[in-house]
Amino acid sequence: MGNQNSNTTLELIKKGDQKTLKAIYEENRKRFLNFAKKQGLIAEDAKDVYQDSFIAFIENISTGKIQSLHSSVSTYLFGIGKKLIQYQKRSNYRLKTSSAVKINEIKEELDVNFLEENVTKEQRLLQKGLKKLGAKCIEVLEMFFLEGYILDEIVEILHYKNKKVLGSQKSRCISQLKEIIRHL
Amino acid sequence: MNNFNLIDKFFNDTLSDKEATLFNKLLQEDSEFKEEFRFQKDLKKALQLNKRESLKATLQGFEKDLKKKKSVFTIKTWLAAATVIILLGIGSLIYNSFGNDDPKNLYAEYFEPYRNIVHPVERGENDGSIETKAFQAYENGDFYKAINLFNSVESLEEDDNYIDFYKGISYLALNKNKEAIEILLPIATEIEKGDYDLSQKANWYLALAYLNANEIEKAKSQLYMISHDNAFTFKKEEASDILEKLN
Repeated sequence: MGNQNSNTTLELIKKGDQKTLKAIYEENRKRFLNFAKKQGLIAEDAKDVYQDSFIAFIENISTGKIQSLHSSVSTYLFGIGKKLIQYQKRSNYRLKTSSAVKINEIKEELDVNFLEENVTKEQRLLQKGLKKLGAKCIEVLEMFFLEGYILDEIVEILHYKNKKVLGSQKSRCISQLKEIIRHL
Repeated sequence: MNNFNLIDKFFNDTLSDKEATLFNKLLQEDSEFKEEFRFQKDLKKALQLNKRESLKATLQGFEKDLKKKKSVFTIKTWLAAATVIILLGIGSLIYNSFGNDDPKNLYAEYFEPYRNIVHPVERGENDGSIETKAFQAYENGDFYKAINLFNSVESLEEDDNYIDFYKGISYLALNKNKEAIEILLPIATEIEKGDYDLSQKANWYLALAYLNANEIEKAKSQLYMISHDNAFTFKKEEASDILEKLN
């Protein structure tokens, strides 16, 4: 029963359901901040680490790295948080590369990476360009690049006629993006 | 051009060994291929960054909502507190006229389990964890069950003492003063800072535990500290009320 509940939670998180996200955020916030402060972090850093842990948790769900919850959400959050606090103490908080980190509490590896470091000019430009791209394109690109779906799966989920249609849609989105950037 | 599907396969992590060899070869020899691959790699990172930024904005929004909630809560709490103090004042006038200030009665008058703020249990919502069950039992006033469950909660951190705090109160609610004092004393003496100050709350419950255990002198010194020390904000009025009654 509990398992089923937590997997419904997982689905809601994956969909980005605001109510669920908010409930989880608020439920664990105080305890996490308290914990982080006890580890010697100042309030502002503690909040940052909490948000970063939260984001890392959500990202691992959307990339499919976490496919079902074997422990409570707070176990995941605190597990990730502990690692991040360790990194922060080693003064190299913003990890340079994406890395799989073993989270002791859940005995699994999760991706804990910070992309803010070393963002190139081209990438910044692409970020801007993406904001001008249509929602349909973003949906396809996110599913393909971030959520790890292969084209066949996207065809099914988004009801495309076939892989070829989707393939050319994806290429069109990429060309459009290139065009937008050229004019930025 | 047809080789571009290798890039798709790269991102899907489905390149065969043979394809991977070709992929690497193209990266070195075919500048158009290399350029496209670099573009898509940047695209992936840009998508991630945008998504993260929007998630971060959502979380900042949650923080704002919390602040709003908190300020409304504070006003409400103050009004409620003022009402309680007035009522207590009237109540204690009546009470005093009967002259019944036995420490145990004072304990009974003032004791109220601290509300569960750490692990709010929403109706119908249950993640099935032991901790949730423990707090459910606590909220339902089933303190025996709560203690048992609190004992089985695997603490994430050794010095994570909020579980102990609620366990101590549960013992107190069951009039098991010795156990309550044993648990609350270390939390009460731990000096903590911040808004999440269990230690000063533990001091209040420790005072009540001493009262209930008829250890008047210890209770008095606790209550004196709570009512006079500026570091304390929790149950200050009540502490000085009880002191007055004891003297």
